[in-house]
Amino acid sequence: MDYYLSQAINGICQGSIYALMAIGYSVVVGVVGLVTFTHGEVIMLGAFASFYTFQLVGNNLIIGVIASFLASAFIGVFVFKICYERFFNAPRHISLICTIGTSMLLRNLAQIIFGPNNKPLLEVVPNRFFGQGVVGLTLVQIIVIATVISLSFLLFLFFNRTRWGIMLRAVSQDKTAAAMMGINVRLTSLLGNSIGCGLGGVAGMLLAIYYQTLVATMGGSAGMKAFSSAVLGGLTNIPSAAAGGLCLGIVENLGITISSASFRDIFAFIFLLLVLIVKPEGFAKKTGVRP
Amino acid sequence: MILEVENLSVNYGHVAALSGISLTVDQGEIVTLIGSNGAGKTSTLMAISGLAEKAGGTVRFKGKDITDLQPHAIARLGICHVPEGRHIFPALSVKENLIAGTVREEKISRQEIVRRMDEVFRLFPRLKERINQGGGSLSGGEQQMLAIARGMMMNPDLMMLDEPSLGLAPIIVEEIFDLILKIKKAGKTILLIEQNAAMALQVADRGYVLVNGRITQQGRGVDLLHNDEVRRAYLGE
Ligand SMILES: Nc1ncnc2c1ncn2[C@@H]1O[C@H](COP(=O)(O)OP(=O)(O)O)[C@@H](O)[C@H]1O
Ligand SMILES: [Mg+2]
Repeated sequence: MDYYLSQAINGICQGSIYALMAIGYSVVVGVVGLVTFTHGEVIMLGAFASFYTFQLVGNNLIIGVIASFLASAFIGVFVFKICYERFFNAPRHISLICTIGTSMLLRNLAQIIFGPNNKPLLEVVPNRFFGQGVVGLTLVQIIVIATVISLSFLLFLFFNRTRWGIMLRAVSQDKTAAAMMGINVRLTSLLGNSIGCGLGGVAGMLLAIYYQTLVATMGGSAGMKAFSSAVLGGLTNIPSAAAGGLCLGIVENLGITISSASFRDIFAFIFLLLVLIVKPEGFAKKTGVRP
Repeated sequence: MILEVENLSVNYGHVAALSGISLTVDQGEIVTLIGSNGAGKTSTLMAISGLAEKAGGTVRFKGKDITDLQPHAIARLGICHVPEGRHIFPALSVKENLIAGTVREEKISRQEIVRRMDEVFRLFPRLKERINQGGGSLSGGEQQMLAIARGMMMNPDLMMLDEPSLGLAPIIVEEIFDLILKIKKAGKTILLIEQNAAMALQVADRGYVLVNGRITQQGRGVDLLHNDEVRRAYLGE
């Protein structure tokens, strides 16, 4: 029983990283109005940004968060310029295919630049355990959860309490009407896309310090997990996407408890398939839409 | 003259929606553009606000050439376009929809926003009751009011209303036209697009009749209202 409980705790912790990936994903899909396939690579680059930052300035987590956010936000600008900016009025599949191409480009460049092998990222957070027996939290788990909660809270404030937040949400909901309000849709989408990518970058850093390793190809499964979690929220609803990430983390960890750790991703993708079959439109209640 | 449209043409692919129309709107006027379905009324407004590509012609606003400006830049100059189909933000609350109307002014103060909201709520008391409700949960008439109210929050020099009465119950239509007159009294200039020619010509100072992308008649609202051709074509006589 204790074992299941501790696996559930691991699931919540990992799920909170997936939640952050999914939150970023939903922000991106909201502002660009399209699913993206580069989010995994954005996450991977955030992880590498923190890796090199830790090498450069020592294991300072706050600087790590800032560096991974900024690096991935910058990649977000690059992705936006390549995949979206010119294609706002083009058929949607053009941008979509463009994100697939960019994802391949970034992944392969990363393999060339960072090398193809796993890199260890040890001892960023001291190995401490709080709790009894097998039930409890490690320090890294506490840090992961605290980071995700604080970033989600900041994002919530930004989206709901600032004029920029209203502009971003307006652009996500109706680009034509947003332009009619005098909102620079291109610039606002660029900003939103960068924020979403930045959050993905921080999630990448958290993945790396949680697993104590990172690799140039980690974006493949990370991107699919961000997508799977976001699907649960109908792709653009941020709280439901976060809940989706949490669910995914728990399902995965309980799944490997009854089988083997190497089956981790299988559970993630069974989860995605089930969601798509049972409730393809997601579980988000469409607030403000008449029934 | 606050708005001057000259020889404006709009094409969709090989289809000409507007073939060189010219019209003007003076400060403080209500000008209406009437015409049947597909005449090109919406295309006219979309071209003025930069949302439809112009095949030719010029648009001047307050003396400035805005023909090639981006839509948001045009809105920032003080043209508010209340579009066909309302286009309110469904997942923003009524209050947030109204605030969205003020984002074109970067330095607007909190007090000024509150003042404008109070003013808007005087005209639309029903919106005040729904202030925290999602925009998409309002009824059709309420959504139309929200769209107009959001436009007023922009404190525009020119309001362009695209068929505000479309799909609304007759009582609500009356209410909307009353409002348009009130907005005029508040000193605003209005370009009103309507299929409901009788109503539109009653409130308008001047009117233009659009047929197949060309202006066929123009004149004072009352004159058009009594013009035989207009009566036959649009008033069912
Ligand atoms: N996006 C579009 N693509 C192709 N044709 C269009 C488009 N929008 C309007 N049209 C055509 O242009 C003409 C004018 O349309 P519109 O301006 O919407 O008229 P109105 O608002 O007077 O009903 C119509 O024949 C319509 O079918
Ligand atoms: Mg129309």
